[in-house]
Amino acid sequence: MRKFFPVEDLARDERFNLITMADRQSDPRTDANMVATAKGSKSNRLTPARKDAPNAARALMHGIFVGEIQALEGAGRTCWDFTTGVEAPFELKLDMARQAWDEARHVEISVKLSDWMGGEIGEFAENTLLFSAACSNDPVFRLAGVNRALEGLAIDVFTAMKEFGELSSDPFLAFCEDWMLADEVTHVKMGSDWLRKITENDPDRRKKALEFQQVVDKLFSFGAFRSESDESSIRLARRFRELAGFTNDEIEDINEMSMQGLNDIKAQTASARAAATEALAAAAAG
Amino acid sequence: MAVYVSPQAFTLVFYDAAEIARVAGQVAAAIGLSGDLSIAIDETSPLARIRAKSDGDAWVVTADSGAFEDTKMPRQFSADATALALGRVLLRAKDRVDGGFGEAPADDDLTLAQSAAWDVYAIGRVHRLGYPINEQRWRYNYRNRHGFTDVTDETFDDVLNATGLTWGQLDAISQKGITNTTTV
Repeated sequence: MRKFFPVEDLARDERFNLITMADRQSDPRTDANMVATAKGSKSNRLTPARKDAPNAARALMHGIFVGEIQALEGAGRTCWDFTTGVEAPFELKLDMARQAWDEARHVEISVKLSDWMGGEIGEFAENTLLFSAACSNDPVFRLAGVNRALEGLAIDVFTAMKEFGELSSDPFLAFCEDWMLADEVTHVKMGSDWLRKITENDPDRRKKALEFQQVVDKLFSFGAFRSESDESSIRLARRFRELAGFTNDEIEDINEMSMQGLNDIKAQTASARAAATEALAAAAAG
Repeated sequence: MAVYVSPQAFTLVFYDAAEIARVAGQVAAAIGLSGDLSIAIDETSPLARIRAKSDGDAWVVTADSGAFEDTKMPRQFSADATALALGRVLLRAKDRVDGGFGEAPADDDLTLAQSAAWDVYAIGRVHRLGYPINEQRWRYNYRNRHGFTDVTDETFDDVLNATGLTWGQLDAISQKGITNTTTV
């Protein structure tokens, strides 16, 4: 069986449309979160009080669904791509096999939740960033980029969805998200534990892996999707991140990066708005 | 009926003003609008906000580009999404003009539950004009604003299948359907 499967070759049927993070970032339109805030909303947090809450929750559920598919594919690849005992310990592969089992279950849960919320498979474009992070030829980088950065983001997202389900009295959403959240904390902890163990005597490899994690974290700070500010949809789930093996310093670093992403997008929004106003005035002047 | 779309040329999304006008004209004819229709699209925003109102003899729609977008293909136009979005808001605007909705609060003053109920009332009629809808999506939206109970679901069915309601009747059904108090 083929090793090191490229993201471009991911198997999907005609319902899906795969896009890259570069595609997502090349959308020149003003970021959705910032527009909503600018027009008077006090908060962009995903709560039932938001006017677009059901639609936003449905879109986020689809993002979770495709993320689970890619997490399954990534964990499965890590079981196969590396030589047991040489490139990756057997016990690490055992953890990845357990994770693949969890992710397969999460895919099924997410499909059912999506149906419940009126979503459809493939309704939204699928961003392939998660699997891209799982394409590294170093298993430690995969643990840093997928288990710690992206599964860490999943902790934040599942916490938000769980709270959304509780606030809206949805009898299924909060329950399902809580169970998946417990698995995600375990996945992140696997990443944290293996990263430290494998690089115990290789500080340079550890440093580079953590830098890779930062790159992935920063990609998801784009658009101010997640931060401590109410202007972002998703809050950093500090407590669960602690349980998953993040140190306080690491959580602070992610928070600072997220706030920087938020401030960047605010500046871009102000600039775009000024340009649009100028263009409108010029058009009106003939 | 004349349909005016602005801008005439899009630079941030791959939309065609003539195609939007064609879809809008079909929807307007199907729901029986008379008078001109103008549609102003903010292509700088990917959000899906859309509003319609009557302005004398004309109908005025303002929309963010996301309202007409194919969510599977970012920045690409979706005729189906456009028809549903326009049909829903134009029917709501027409309700206000046709009578029976005189005492309805302004759009900004509607509660989330009232707004959800009016959307369902509109989308049910759009569906009966031949436009496919995802009923579960509207049921979920309605449940979020009213509650996740059998009573709520019964009132959803009543609203979705209704015709000729007045605002008072619609609001009464919506009130009956509210079985939680957290989101309204």
